Amino acid sequence: MSDRPARLWERFHSSILGLLPSIPYATPEVPVAGPAIRAEGLTAAARPDGPAAFTGVALEIPAGCRAALIGPNGSGKSTLLRVLAGLTPARDGTVEVLGRSPALGRRRVAYLAQRPDLTHYFPLTLRRLVQMGKYAHHGWFDECRHGDADVDRALGLLELGDLAERPVHALSGGQLQRGLLARATVQGAELLLLDEPYAALDTSSRAVVERFLAERPAGLTVVMATHDPADARRSDRVLELRGGALRLLHDCAGHDHRHA
Amino acid sequence: MLEPLLAPLREEFFLRALAAVVLGGVTCACLGAYVVLRRMAFVSTALTHSILPGIVGALLLGFSPYVGALAAALLTAGGTAWLASRRGTSEDSAIGVMLSVMFAAGIALMQQARSWRDFGSLLFGSVVSVGPEDLLVIGLTAAGVLLSLRALHKELELASFDEEYARLLGARPGLLRAVLLALVAFGAVACVRLVGALLTTALFVIPAATGVLLGRTLAHVMAWGAAVAVLGGVAGLYLSYHVPSVPSGAGIVLCCALPYLLARLFAPRR
Repeated sequence: MSDRPARLWERFHSSILGLLPSIPYATPEVPVAGPAIRAEGLTAAARPDGPAAFTGVALEIPAGCRAALIGPNGSGKSTLLRVLAGLTPARDGTVEVLGRSPALGRRRVAYLAQRPDLTHYFPLTLRRLVQMGKYAHHGWFDECRHGDADVDRALGLLELGDLAERPVHALSGGQLQRGLLARATVQGAELLLLDEPYAALDTSSRAVVERFLAERPAGLTVVMATHDPADARRSDRVLELRGGALRLLHDCAGHDHRHA
Repeated sequence: MLEPLLAPLREEFFLRALAAVVLGGVTCACLGAYVVLRRMAFVSTALTHSILPGIVGALLLGFSPYVGALAAALLTAGGTAWLASRRGTSEDSAIGVMLSVMFAAGIALMQQARSWRDFGSLLFGSVVSVGPEDLLVIGLTAAGVLLSLRALHKELELASFDEEYARLLGARPGLLRAVLLALVAFGAVACVRLVGALLTTALFVIPAATGVLLGRTLAHVMAWGAAVAVLGGVAGLYLSYHVPSVPSGAGIVLCCALPYLLARLFAPRR
């Protein structure tokens, strides 16, 4: 009986919003077989008018691979990840991410900044934050009431189930970082670009994320900038950016039995 | 005993003002949630103040004050974006420049019209000034703004919380910001009759700031803000009715500030 006004309100809403067309944020793409990332002669800078962070970089990362990107501070790791995410334009060279040049509006690519620029005091529960990953599949004017099962699963995967209704400003840095990872999971991305995800994490959060990456679904490609040699050891492929050049340090993709 | 409450209700102009303050208050409080959470209070002040030259100019040239007000507010929003688009001028100073230039233009135009006193209600609001056609404009504006906010709710929430993720999804945060500024301009124009060009910004900031202290989700912030705006607005109109020397804008702002103060003092720390 008490949900009758709520139902009426719902009907009122959907009858008005139903008049609006649902427009996707970007044109949906057709999956293409091939390496997750391929770049040739890639040059880019952190700022449009700044010096190049790296020049003439060649890169290939197969689908399903877990790659570590290492290198000293300021070597251009973040810039490379932002180029792959489509947030920073390449200055020169060719780059293909999941068979297409990087662009905004790609639901198949997820990117986690080193220090995400969030409005921390925003009135938002963790559940709502994770649900935002679903928006990629909806678009303008479209309600997003479904996908709760996916949200719950992602929250469970990152051991955040108990915190679902907590406001984001009451979360620790590590919990928030895991929430953003859960959002990328809900988005259903096939490529995960992580910029030093462990920088803000305590040991227990780190263990959760580590397990999440180790048990990731087959086909999910991960590129992670890191300073930790232990991360490099756990990766299939290790790339080092130094002095504006990229080197392949280690490649055991051929021996990777997990995705064979 | 109820006579002070009932007497004004027999006056047609007071009923119109009540309807206007409810519609305008809810609209401004919902918009205000974004204004407060996105730290846009200063730019909303600039938009509301810039309405002044728009209205005075429209009266001098003889066309609808609403058209003039809206044009001036949109000019301010566009001018601010243009000034801030070049390095060396921060958005803050761009807003400061546009705010003072527009307001100075308004004062110059008022001197042109040589009748300061007639413009008192323009600056501070007037309870008797809401005519039937004003109520129609306010109602249509409120409906348009509230529907836009509802239709773009998830995008505006996303872009306000995590602008970069909105960019990544292709949800155009720059465009959303422009839309929000335009909606603030519409909201300000709708409220200027009651609250006045100088004080309209308070309707964006004070109720929503109360809502932020009390609400846990964006919808709750808007609901609390709307409640404060409606209560404060109605109380302010009564105050202005019984104490004619208090302009309605001043009465409404003072009555909205009281719940804010209470929330600030007694709201549980989150």
